[in-house]
Amino acid sequence: MKKTLALVFLVFLFTIQFMNSYGIQRFPKPEFESGYVQPETLLPNPRAEVLAILDIAVLIISLSVVSWLVIKKRNRNGVFWMSLFALAYFGFYREGCVCAIGSIQNVTLAIFDKSYLIPISAIIFFVAPLVYTLFFGRTFCAAVCPFGAMQDLVAFSPQKLGSRLNAVLGVIPYIYLGLAVIYAATGTDFIICRYDPFVGIWRFNASFGIFVFGGILLVIGIFIARPYCRFLCPYGVLLNWASRFSRKHITITPAECIQCRLCENSCPYDAIDIPVTTKNPESKGTMARKLIFITFLIPVLMLAGGWVGSKLNEPLASANAKVRLAKQILNPVTEKNQAETFEIQAFKSAGKQQRQAFAEASEVLHKFYIGSWILGGFIGLVFGSLIAGRMITKHQTDYTPNKGTCFSCVRCVDYCPVKLPLITK
Amino acid sequence: MKQKIIIISALALLLLLIIFMVKDFFFNNPGNTNPYQFELDNIRKGDSAKAVFAETQQIKTSLEEIHGIATDTSGKIYVSGKDSVAIFDAKGKTVNKFRIAGTAQCIAVSENGKIFLGIQDHIEIWNNRGEQLAKWASLGTDAVLTSIAVKGENIFIADAGQKVVYRCHIKGYLLGKIGLKDPATGVPGFIIPSPYFDLGISKDGNLWVVNPGRHSFEKYKFNGTLLSSWGKASMATEGFCGCCNPSNFAFINDSLFVTSEKAIERVKIYSADGTFLCVVATPDQFESGTKGLDLAVDKQNRILVLDPVKKMIRIFEPKK
Repeated sequence: MKKTLALVFLVFLFTIQFMNSYGIQRFPKPEFESGYVQPETLLPNPRAEVLAILDIAVLIISLSVVSWLVIKKRNRNGVFWMSLFALAYFGFYREGCVCAIGSIQNVTLAIFDKSYLIPISAIIFFVAPLVYTLFFGRTFCAAVCPFGAMQDLVAFSPQKLGSRLNAVLGVIPYIYLGLAVIYAATGTDFIICRYDPFVGIWRFNASFGIFVFGGILLVIGIFIARPYCRFLCPYGVLLNWASRFSRKHITITPAECIQCRLCENSCPYDAIDIPVTTKNPESKGTMARKLIFITFLIPVLMLAGGWVGSKLNEPLASANAKVRLAKQILNPVTEKNQAETFEIQAFKSAGKQQRQAFAEASEVLHKFYIGSWILGGFIGLVFGSLIAGRMITKHQTDYTPNKGTCFSCVRCVDYCPVKLPLITK
Repeated sequence: MKQKIIIISALALLLLLIIFMVKDFFFNNPGNTNPYQFELDNIRKGDSAKAVFAETQQIKTSLEEIHGIATDTSGKIYVSGKDSVAIFDAKGKTVNKFRIAGTAQCIAVSENGKIFLGIQDHIEIWNNRGEQLAKWASLGTDAVLTSIAVKGENIFIADAGQKVVYRCHIKGYLLGKIGLKDPATGVPGFIIPSPYFDLGISKDGNLWVVNPGRHSFEKYKFNGTLLSSWGKASMATEGFCGCCNPSNFAFINDSLFVTSEKAIERVKIYSADGTFLCVVATPDQFESGTKGLDLAVDKQNRILVLDPVKKMIRIFEPKK
């Protein structure tokens, strides 16, 4: 029933979207033989303050309800309907903005640019899910984030990827997070928003490229559940960290695991840690050697990453408008019939001096140089941690959700034969 | 096996998306493109296939600037421009060239061989030996004369500055104004956003005036009564493009219209009722940005296109 409902909804949505993606932003405007008059362009009014407060209230209430459904009620149906609500409200009604994922950039820009006044709603959308995650795990991902809800709807035939593949692909969000922070901190771009796969769909105005991007992601999502959340979402990195320290996290069984293995394949996100028991535990010497190696490896990787990053600072900075302009002034490459680029024309018409452009570009490059060192070091740390994680064998006896990667969707709970009412009897 | 294929395909797609993001962000340089640029390349390309005329001759004018072209009954070609008027025979040999004071934006030749020049705000009459016969009074400080047509004792003058057509007696006095907006008689008024405003007299003795802002031709009786109009605004070959076109026209085979446009530089032929017939010259035959392709048709029915950028007369004839 749920699958059919989801399928009908998606077919309807994409039929509308496909028409829209061809029907917008045409310049020159199409000519009609029928006497049709082109409508005037309508500009949306700024969102009323009271509605911004309503959004915050809905976010907090949703987080509370979902956390209650996950932790207390362990109710998958409730979580499913809440995710539909999130998709409708935060997705289609709120048109996906401000979203928690994009708010990383608002917060970063506010830290590095004192002239930027961050909206209170952006701060709350950034902080509230993290706070709830610290207490209850990733309940935000479960049914409050419209991105997750959208992808959850299409996860018809999820395949297991295996822990190695999951670990390798899981590095991508860290790189994406690092790049998003560096570009926001330097005032270059909000890349998370630029490559937001679903906002255009919710707004019914996706460009063809982004429509295809979002569509392909949903197609992938049929077989690899929540690909954006698992292998792209930069906010997921922060939630992953927070969730590892969560006070109360969803458990598969409400009591003691009876090792029935029924839940083993229940998670579409490969987020269940299976019991690991080794017959021959590693000797203390081996463990010590591994520890020394890791202690040595991580700083080396960080330094190497930082060094490589610093060498890439110019290519990274080439996306910055000030750097691009300075480059164009130095090496003018023009299109046919165009004396100079559009950006140089705008620069000249503003009455600025070339020296000023070079000074501004130099300042940005310096920021990128420092940022690239940090970014490279961060990526080195991520790789080091990944290797360390693979080297260290974690011993556990029960089937448990991985606190970092589990989206608290409550699917696995239904597979567990140990039910709470029976225990209480 | 099937599961592996599915996973590999899905991962390949995921990789493709990441490549798309990287390529789009780092390798698409928005600085070199103007997102608001009017993209005409495809429209320009479309015209070539419909061209049934070929350029057969070019005549260099040696004038500093050229603006107007006309022919007479003997086949001579007259070109007006900055400070000069040049006369050529049908083969392109210079017959005479004489100096005038000012820039003659438009030129017409009467049946008896008198040359009428529109110089900014007034009319001057010359003979082909370079002697000035008359100089009329100014038609107003805002006058910008862009076209002249002569028929018997009537001379019609297009004034783009004041958006009106003057009907004058050949002796120089005003007989009436044509085309002033008048809802009572259905005259819509001329919309002239740029100084290209042409007129001509058809074989059946009616005045045809371009209303460029309406992308149309309007047919008037000599007394100013509006008889009919035709025209269609369109970027396509069949219509007139941009803000204000056609910029110039001439008659061929007595009743067909040869038209020229700016923005998409093209020369086309329409029937008397405005049906598009064929393309004479395509945009790729002109320098981009060429404006004011004045037209004339000689007694051999050759189409003469004045190219102000190349400063030459370009002659087009049907392809054999």
